[in-house]
Amino acid sequence: MKTSAVFSALLSLLSLASAASADSKSSSTSTTLPATFKPPQVFKNANLVHVISVEKNYVKENINVLVQNIDKAAQDEYFLPFTADQMSRVGGVEVKDRKDSNAGPFVAEPVEFDQESDIQYLRIRLPKPLAPGAQQTLGISYYLLKAYKPLPASIKQEEPQFLSFSFSAYCPSAYTTTKQKTEVKFPSSTIPDYTKLPGSGDIQEFPQVQGSKLTYGPFDEKPAGATQPVSVRFEFNKPVTHVSHLERDIEVSHWGGNVAFEERYTLYHRGANLSSLFNRVKWQQAQYYQPNSFALKELKFPLRVGSADPYYTDVIGNVSTSKFRSNKREALLEIKPRYPVFGGWKFPFTIGWNSDAKNFLRQTAAGGFVLNVPFLEGPRQSEGVEYEHVQVRVILPEGAENVKYHTAIPAQSINDAAVEVHRTFLDTIGRTALIIKARNLVDDFRDRELVITYDYPLMAALRKPLIVFGSAVAVFVGAWVVGNLELKFDSRKK
Amino acid sequence: MSADPLQALASAGKGESTRGLLRVIILALIAGASIASRLFSVIRFESIIHEFDPWFNFRATKYLVANGFYNFWDWFDDRTWHPLGRVTGGTLYPGLMVTSGAIYHALRALTIPVDIRNICVLLAPAFSGLTAVAAYLLTNEMTPSSSAGLLAALFMGIAPGYISRSVAGSYDNEAIAIFLLVFTFYLWIKALKQGSMLWGALCALFYGYMVASWGGYAFITCLLPLHSFVLICMGRYSTRLYVAYTTWYALGTLASMQIPFVGFLPVKTSEHMPALGIFGFLQLLAFLDYVRSAIPSRQFQTFLWLFAGGTFGIGLLGLVIATSAGVIAPWSGRFYSLWDTGYAKIHIPIIASVSEHQPTAWPAFFFDLNMLIWLFPVGVYLCFQQLADEHVFIVVYALFGSYFAGVMVRLMLTLTPVVCVAAAIAVSTLLDTYLSTKSPKPEESQAVEGAEGKKAKSGLKSTSKPMVGVYSIWGKSMMVSALAVYLLLFVLHCTWVTSNAYSSPSVVLASRLPDGSQHIIDDYREAYQWLRQNTREDAKIMSWWDYGYQIGGMADRPTLVDNNTWNNTHIATVGKAMSSSEEVSYPIMRQHEVDYVLVVFGGLLGYSGDDINKFLWMVRIAEGIWPDEVSERAFFTQRGEYRVDAEATETMKNSLMYKMSYYNYNNLFPPGKAVDRMRGVHLPEVGPTLSTMEEAFTSENWIIRIYKVKDLDNLGRDHMSAAAFDRGQKKKKATKKRGPRLLRVD
Repeated sequence: MKTSAVFSALLSLLSLASAASADSKSSSTSTTLPATFKPPQVFKNANLVHVISVEKNYVKENINVLVQNIDKAAQDEYFLPFTADQMSRVGGVEVKDRKDSNAGPFVAEPVEFDQESDIQYLRIRLPKPLAPGAQQTLGISYYLLKAYKPLPASIKQEEPQFLSFSFSAYCPSAYTTTKQKTEVKFPSSTIPDYTKLPGSGDIQEFPQVQGSKLTYGPFDEKPAGATQPVSVRFEFNKPVTHVSHLERDIEVSHWGGNVAFEERYTLYHRGANLSSLFNRVKWQQAQYYQPNSFALKELKFPLRVGSADPYYTDVIGNVSTSKFRSNKREALLEIKPRYPVFGGWKFPFTIGWNSDAKNFLRQTAAGGFVLNVPFLEGPRQSEGVEYEHVQVRVILPEGAENVKYHTAIPAQSINDAAVEVHRTFLDTIGRTALIIKARNLVDDFRDRELVITYDYPLMAALRKPLIVFGSAVAVFVGAWVVGNLELKFDSRKK
Repeated sequence: MSADPLQALASAGKGESTRGLLRVIILALIAGASIASRLFSVIRFESIIHEFDPWFNFRATKYLVANGFYNFWDWFDDRTWHPLGRVTGGTLYPGLMVTSGAIYHALRALTIPVDIRNICVLLAPAFSGLTAVAAYLLTNEMTPSSSAGLLAALFMGIAPGYISRSVAGSYDNEAIAIFLLVFTFYLWIKALKQGSMLWGALCALFYGYMVASWGGYAFITCLLPLHSFVLICMGRYSTRLYVAYTTWYALGTLASMQIPFVGFLPVKTSEHMPALGIFGFLQLLAFLDYVRSAIPSRQFQTFLWLFAGGTFGIGLLGLVIATSAGVIAPWSGRFYSLWDTGYAKIHIPIIASVSEHQPTAWPAFFFDLNMLIWLFPVGVYLCFQQLADEHVFIVVYALFGSYFAGVMVRLMLTLTPVVCVAAAIAVSTLLDTYLSTKSPKPEESQAVEGAEGKKAKSGLKSTSKPMVGVYSIWGKSMMVSALAVYLLLFVLHCTWVTSNAYSSPSVVLASRLPDGSQHIIDDYREAYQWLRQNTREDAKIMSWWDYGYQIGGMADRPTLVDNNTWNNTHIATVGKAMSSSEEVSYPIMRQHEVDYVLVVFGGLLGYSGDDINKFLWMVRIAEGIWPDEVSERAFFTQRGEYRVDAEATETMKNSLMYKMSYYNYNNLFPPGKAVDRMRGVHLPEVGPTLSTMEEAFTSENWIIRIYKVKDLDNLGRDHMSAAAFDRGQKKKKATKKRGPRLLRVD
């Protein structure tokens, strides 16, 4: 971490940007460029397929693009444009070479050049510069959070919910695109409204409808930055679950041989509001007649096998509506909110559980320790869950040092990572806590691992028992000394 | 109970230190048992604050912990009693919160991260362990037999009369106050016996703590002077009494005046006058004592009479003048109801409406104290046998406590300590008498007496009659085994009562499913959490005052009235809004900026503590302020029945409470089959209609129903006609004539 911070600080010094100091503070993974930055026209998109999936309550976009270097020099920076609003909501960017699966995820990082500009760029660094005239197939996937607007914005509780989503039929690109098409996948075939475009070639009219799929295109050559706004409206009779904050604590205890997990969720339903307030009679009747509702009724957490002692509370105490099934094959925690959560409602809650340390912790031959835990273990819902801010705090034992981490979560989503001190149960110097902040993640990333290595010397492990023993002895000795003091003025009666 | 075999063991173990160690171990075990027996609700449910008042104490403690002591002291709470607010810092007894806060910070300093809620939940059990120790100390002052002390500690630890207010989660002032009460009495006896200023000052210190903790401190304020007065009347005035009393009174009064809520009450109200009077009286006696030693006895007689008569006259005159001039406040209503149990019912319905202010039913004594209640007179009798100064205290306390426990249910709490002490003296005397293994032969009786004397110098034996011994092993074992059985039954009873009667949080209800598994009914928290998460931060909630503290604590929303019933008129306003028709209620609610109205309805589940059952108190309290507008009679049918079915009176059916309780309820049933399971009646086929408010939330089992008060109509219509229009009815012209009054809000 430190090296990259130093590196970025150096970069910011070298760059010509005026507000270098402010920029270098804001994010360590971004790169600063002059305010007048425009991506050089060194690439051409020979063929582009844009797949937008609105099946879940977040948008997953896949851009498969065949890029060709049209410059005279080898190029290794490909830019992807987003609007400033999108940029704050985009997460989990992963770029791969479609042809070569070994090429690994490429580095994708936001370009910092002008905070005010409406167009922001993501820079994709190709591991090997692309020779002039050469082609490469990039598979870019990312997620957009808070993407939908319910339309109508408020409905009755027994009515189905419709969401609308706006996007560009031409895939936004910083380069000229020769040929492209955009596919939109829906959760069901009920798509009452979508923007129609005049067709080209054999096709009369875009889009083509195939069941629960719309296809705009193929389009012919479009210049860089071309857009064609379209919007779709589709039935989505499931909760639009949005977790604005997730705080996940992982506490490792070597003495107890235990890893304790605790997750605090601030959960919102971003779907349609109720046009007339909640009616229990209708709700109870609907439970029998039409159990499908856009209200959030249940969350299922498939935990790691071996998880034990789960708890589920909120700010006023235990929530009794939960079930925990644990056996050799699964450990499934099913929780219900206290009340069905409708659009615009909020339900913050906390869950936690314990697990045996041997499931997660190994000692290496060199004497250090390796902790391998899932970065994210949210609920698994058919409609998906999106997380705007995630803070993972791994609390290591007191005295742990030399902490390093590695995670399979896309680097673009990691905001910040720091090692801090956390003081709890009879600590003297405090425990080492690794705090990783991430944003714009979705439940597709659950079970991506977080690997932490650290050293934990024997003396650090013995510190607490020795200190507790020492303090107890000190108290007894103190009591004995005080008891032997003669404080009376008059000792006649002795 | 377990003390006795151990006691026998202790006498076998010869050394004094062995017995001391045993005593410490037994006491620790008793303290442990008294804590453990209070944990039923934590084990069965969870670590949760119970009932109503504790929720306020909990909220105040959180405020104290979050904002520090000085902010707490100056706390003006604008989230209760809207729009009046409450000077909370100056109108509460801070002892409880400060105690928890101190424990919290002490643990934090040791880096033990305990949640403040857990401290609050477990404070009462922890202090009950201390109370057991205090009872041991107090009893040890009464009798030389330490087995009596251990028995008293045990009784105190598990007597249901005390457990009722100190189970885990019952975070109320009484939780620490009973410990302080018993410990203050112990210090008082100690001070009195030794005539020691140090013990008197300690007594004053704990008295100050007690004042800071509970309004029941007046019990001490009255009991200590009464004890002193009785001692004086018995001709037992001594310098010991003088030193103990004056030290306690001077320091204790100063300490008590430091609490803002008490302030100058100790010199202004009638409750505190006995203490002041005895203080003055003791000065006179001390003066007379001095004079008697200085002048001849004949002159002293005349001097005495003149002096005493003059002082009494002046004192009485001063008291009458001060009272009538308003310098000394007359007795408060709650105090009057201590003398006349019918007083509150007639004059102050709000006091009478609280179930714990009702007179105690006879079975309650047996329920709360079991066998102690019949051992209690024996113990008092044994005190009469010895009648040293400290025994007089027990006698006075017993009389005083019994009377008040008979008047008000909650004062059973103050009776319990003396019952435990007296019963322990009785049991230990019995055991000491019958548990001696040696049977005395008539000619040896003196010798046996001498040998036994060290262990037990009981009251019965000390009546200088010739030795009356128990000669047969048979009789002894009968007696001892009978007592053992009683003691075992007592433990069983206490456990049973604690488990069944006193361990329900009342926020969470438990029921059994057909397969026998426990099902939790969590409607209160469901609704409170809904309010907390899905309404505006400053949405005002109107509900009956019972739920005020819970709404403040769990839903964190401003309320109109709460359990701190300081403003009767404001409560009556809410009562009026609940018991009047919508036309009358709506302007009241608009004036008070009410956003949501919360009612408790037990009809679906058969839950008895609902608002329809409490409704008559709302009516009565409202009638007390607006006799012209609200009439209790109108809620009863011609035949004087309180009904909610089709036969209910028009006033009842039109009242807001009735409408809110039954609104939409009949839709849950097939037509014509709607039934109120609580009152066991069929409801009319057509349910009530609501025009000025709409249903906002109903909990799973319908226990809590929340309504949103509608804003003014967009078209300027009144809500009745707007709602009628929506239902498709034609506009009635007659409404114009006697149209509902509508509040204009600019």
